Amino acid sequence: MWYVFLLPTLLGILFFTVYPLLESLRLSFTRGVEERFVGTDNYTDVLTSDTFWYAVYNTLYITIFQLIFAIPLGFVLACLINSLRRSSHFFKVLFYIPNTTSMVAAATVFVAILHPDGPLNYALELLGMEKVVWLSQPVSAKWGAIILSVWHWLGFVIIICLANLQAIPIEYYEASSIDGATRLQQWWFITIPNMLGSLALLCILGWIGGLQRFADVFMLGGLQGSPARSLHTVVGFIFERGFGGNEYGIASAAAYILFLVILVFTYFNIKLLRMKI
Amino acid sequence: MLKTNPKMFVCILFLLFSLALSACSGNGGANAPGATNEANGGHADRSPTDDAGTSNPQLTGTLKVQMIGDFSVEDKTDAITGQKSKGIKVLKDEFEKRYPGTTVEFVLMGWDNYNEKTQTMLQSNAADVYQVPGIAKFAEQGLLEPLQPYIDRDSFDLGIYLNGQVDGWRAMGPNDQEPEIYSLPYIGDARLIVYDTKLFDDWGVPYLSESPTIDEILEKAKLMTGTNPKTGEQNYGLTFNGKDAADTIMNVNEAKGGQWGSGFLWKEMTLEFDTPSMVESAEWLNEAMQYAPEGVLVNQGAENFLNVNNNIAINLRAAPGFVNTIEAFGTKDRYQASLLFKHPENGMGGMFAGSPFAIGTTSSNKELAWEWLKFSGSEFFQEYMWMEQRSQSMPVIKSAADWDSVKEIPQMDIILKQMSQLWAPRYPYRSGQPRYILSENVERILLGEVPAAEGLKKAQEESSKWVKDQL
Repeated sequence: MWYVFLLPTLLGILFFTVYPLLESLRLSFTRGVEERFVGTDNYTDVLTSDTFWYAVYNTLYITIFQLIFAIPLGFVLACLINSLRRSSHFFKVLFYIPNTTSMVAAATVFVAILHPDGPLNYALELLGMEKVVWLSQPVSAKWGAIILSVWHWLGFVIIICLANLQAIPIEYYEASSIDGATRLQQWWFITIPNMLGSLALLCILGWIGGLQRFADVFMLGGLQGSPARSLHTVVGFIFERGFGGNEYGIASAAAYILFLVILVFTYFNIKLLRMKI
Repeated sequence: MLKTNPKMFVCILFLLFSLALSACSGNGGANAPGATNEANGGHADRSPTDDAGTSNPQLTGTLKVQMIGDFSVEDKTDAITGQKSKGIKVLKDEFEKRYPGTTVEFVLMGWDNYNEKTQTMLQSNAADVYQVPGIAKFAEQGLLEPLQPYIDRDSFDLGIYLNGQVDGWRAMGPNDQEPEIYSLPYIGDARLIVYDTKLFDDWGVPYLSESPTIDEILEKAKLMTGTNPKTGEQNYGLTFNGKDAADTIMNVNEAKGGQWGSGFLWKEMTLEFDTPSMVESAEWLNEAMQYAPEGVLVNQGAENFLNVNNNIAINLRAAPGFVNTIEAFGTKDRYQASLLFKHPENGMGGMFAGSPFAIGTTSSNKELAWEWLKFSGSEFFQEYMWMEQRSQSMPVIKSAADWDSVKEIPQMDIILKQMSQLWAPRYPYRSGQPRYILSENVERILLGEVPAAEGLKKAQEESSKWVKDQL
């Protein structure tokens, strides 16, 4: 009778996960309100669409720079916080607060921060640099999204790194001290090798989250990722075609392509980073 | 002895079967326009006239009405202004009073994914009356009841509505050859040219005319860009909604005698995105942008428009709700409105907007639903919307111009005029990818990435290909 207790969960998965997945797969081979079968035309249309590939480019561009900045910076900050004897909790909370904030709320605040007369430009001008009309030009708009995503994700990176740092046995450091290792050598030869698992995990989570990027760029650039689709991501493409134009077939095909991309990326990430999952 | 005739037996069986079928046919017959109603003593569904046409007090039953927006059944207080407004219970009470024995139930929803929710509701008969700003999609699936038979039967006077408001919502069902009436308007909307008279005074520039030309706008915007001679602040001549830049160009194109294209359904649609007048219009907006704040394309830099610290003279695309904003900011004597550009021949111009009510073909109470549609055009209904739901609705009936509450707002005269000259039927290309393709390429033109002719040629080619693929 034990399986009776599993039944509600299994039914939930069946109706709310498996069925929508299969229905979306079916829709990806149809077109129009009458859902007429068009074979793989939707997949062909998506894969030959310049807009889709520009959305892929934007997604990768923002994600790569987010990972390049957030992971090393978060790791270094975590090391610094870990070395503090006092106030470490204060800094943990300080850096983690952005991550607890809804991305929609955070992006709304960033619209003000990235305003031509906003605080970021004020800071740039204090440093003697020229102000940037962040969201008005394609390249600076993407960098605005990168700054937002790094700021929002940094706390999460720090918390994961801190958890790992505190799990490294103290004996390693004591033994290396006896052997005459400097703090920098300890960091390079003990800390970093012991952190690889967490850093790999952050890379994979960052990739998956990055490829699914939507809320932040939607808030900054609207439905089309303005200006000139510079903030249009793959999920933005799915959303626009699905809900902006009721092209559920195209949107479903793009969603399955995104699923395959994430699958492939994750597979290679795991292989490259030698993770055991 | 009675001999059984097999033919007679079959005939009797057939008659009995027909009788049984007719008894089981529910209210389908009663729902058909012009049908007689047994409950009414056999007379047709006609009744005493009210201020919106006809009503039938003998109709009974439960009417489910779906509404989209910031509606509340009970009274509520606005969190920002502190103003109290009466809930839509007022409408329910009035309708139930006019039609004793009826009960109105509301299904309220926000604007998020409203088309998908409405589609689901229509297919599952979750309501009788639906608010359908995305009407074309539902009409083409045969999900909405054609209204012309009801209008003809009741001799319902469509002349009560502002010019173009009914035509703007015309749509095509699966068997229609021309756009037909599937809904009646109840929420009005438009875009207007709004300007700050104080900045005009500061610069000594004459105010905009009621219906300015594109040259007049450009000339005056140019004069008012720079350091304000009185305040010493940086002023800008104009601004517009950057994310609607394609609509602005289309409106300028209309002033030059152009149009978006022709046809209504994808299979018969031809687009005119790369005509010489469209190219000239894009170049016009490109030139106008030099008199706008730097962030205009992403709607930055014009945040103070309508308040006392404003530094922009003209807004090419302001929503009519600006009358509420200037009331809240205490600047209602400072801002004036002008009409959008219009086509020199047909006198129409600007994107049609708002919301209508329609009856679902799955509705189980179509007669009562039709009464609700007429009720929504009544002075009672429209005045309630104006007084209590002004932030999300403008009147759609001509008589609103005579209300004291409308007369006391000087800008309302222009708003009602503008709503009467919007391009109708709506731009149907905005229901699909051509809308986004045009917007993307217009943004590229305004960013200086491509010349106007090249960008619009690309928009035309991509959109035409997409339209062709829909066949």
